[in-house]
Amino acid sequence: MSAVITTALIGILMATAILYLVRRDHLHGSYALWWLAVAAAALLLGIFPQTIDWLGRITGIAYAPVLPIIFGLGMILLRMLKMDIDRSRSERQLRRLTQKLGILEEELAQTREAIKPAAADVGPPRAKTAQVIPLSKSGDA
Amino acid sequence: MRKKNDNNQRLLAIIPARNEAATVGEIVRRVRAVVGSAILVVNDASSDDTSAQARLAGACVIDLPSQLGAWGAAQTGLRYAKRNRFTAALTLDADGQHHPEELPTLLDGWRRSGANVAIGTFPQRLSLAKRLAWRYFRLLTGIGVQDFTSGLRVYDRNAIRVLASRQASLFDYQDLGVLMLLRKKGLDLHEVPTVMSPRRSGGSRVFSSWPMVARYMLHTTVLCFAQFGVRGRFAQARAATHA
Repeated sequence: MSAVITTALIGILMATAILYLVRRDHLHGSYALWWLAVAAAALLLGIFPQTIDWLGRITGIAYAPVLPIIFGLGMILLRMLKMDIDRSRSERQLRRLTQKLGILEEELAQTREAIKPAAADVGPPRAKTAQVIPLSKSGDA
Repeated sequence: MRKKNDNNQRLLAIIPARNEAATVGEIVRRVRAVVGSAILVVNDASSDDTSAQARLAGACVIDLPSQLGAWGAAQTGLRYAKRNRFTAALTLDADGQHHPEELPTLLDGWRRSGANVAIGTFPQRLSLAKRLAWRYFRLLTGIGVQDFTSGLRVYDRNAIRVLASRQASLFDYQDLGVLMLLRKKGLDLHEVPTVMSPRRSGGSRVFSSWPMVARYMLHTTVLCFAQFGVRGRFAQARAATHA
């Protein structure tokens, strides 16, 4: 009886922790869904550990407790693969954004250079015109 | 700033530079004297006054807000070239190992071969380690180039389009990955022998120490497997039907 209480406690603790963290809204869309599913599984397996024995009988695995371990490890590996794919995608995006930022900054400087003499001909700027703010030398960003 | 050169092509010279304040100004002046094209220096977040020196020499300068590495900087130049409708781009290093005086030879070889990309190589410069490494990669990829890492290159409009794409954004060096992508897209390479001098400041970024070499070999081998796709002949046939 006490083993069931222990597993139930562990399951409930895990589920509550995950639920709490997901509720704080730090997770983006599908990630939250994934972790809610993990919380549900922890809760289910914690409260009804006999599910594992039942699964063992169905799948024909003699030592049933190894089942959640293998399954969990597999899911963790998949999850890590997905994480690396996501990170590669963000890296690509970050690089392209950095490049675009550099290119646009250069174009902005050129455009300002081109506008400057024309503005000087007109004379002092009127009250409500946009001010040209000189950019600080980049490299410090 | 932008001039048309004799063959009615708009050529952009791209010089990626990181902490090359000592040489970049001189390189820019020499490139302008020899080629007379528009010159773009991509300052890869240098901590010295590379950017100011390049501007002083009259180049157009893009300052990257954070370091992207050799290829990231070169690709910035290629994206700039695509955006501003240049029809050809050449890249050379800012550290003085590529002589701007060799550029006419390279451009000439490129035009005469009709290839999409020309690579200026200097086989005599290669160390034993590099020679062995390149032999291995030649076997692995079937790309018959003497020096894969040479940053002295000319790209035509198609090559610029391919290399400015998102697909080319995860490379780290201007080397095999770039060449394999070009071949996958059915573009052809031509090698032009040129004269280069040893680097004046700083060593090779790739071949600085044995662990680095091992790392590079491993990375590039993996890259070869990832990029392994349609072999040249099929790709060229496809390109011919597109043209």
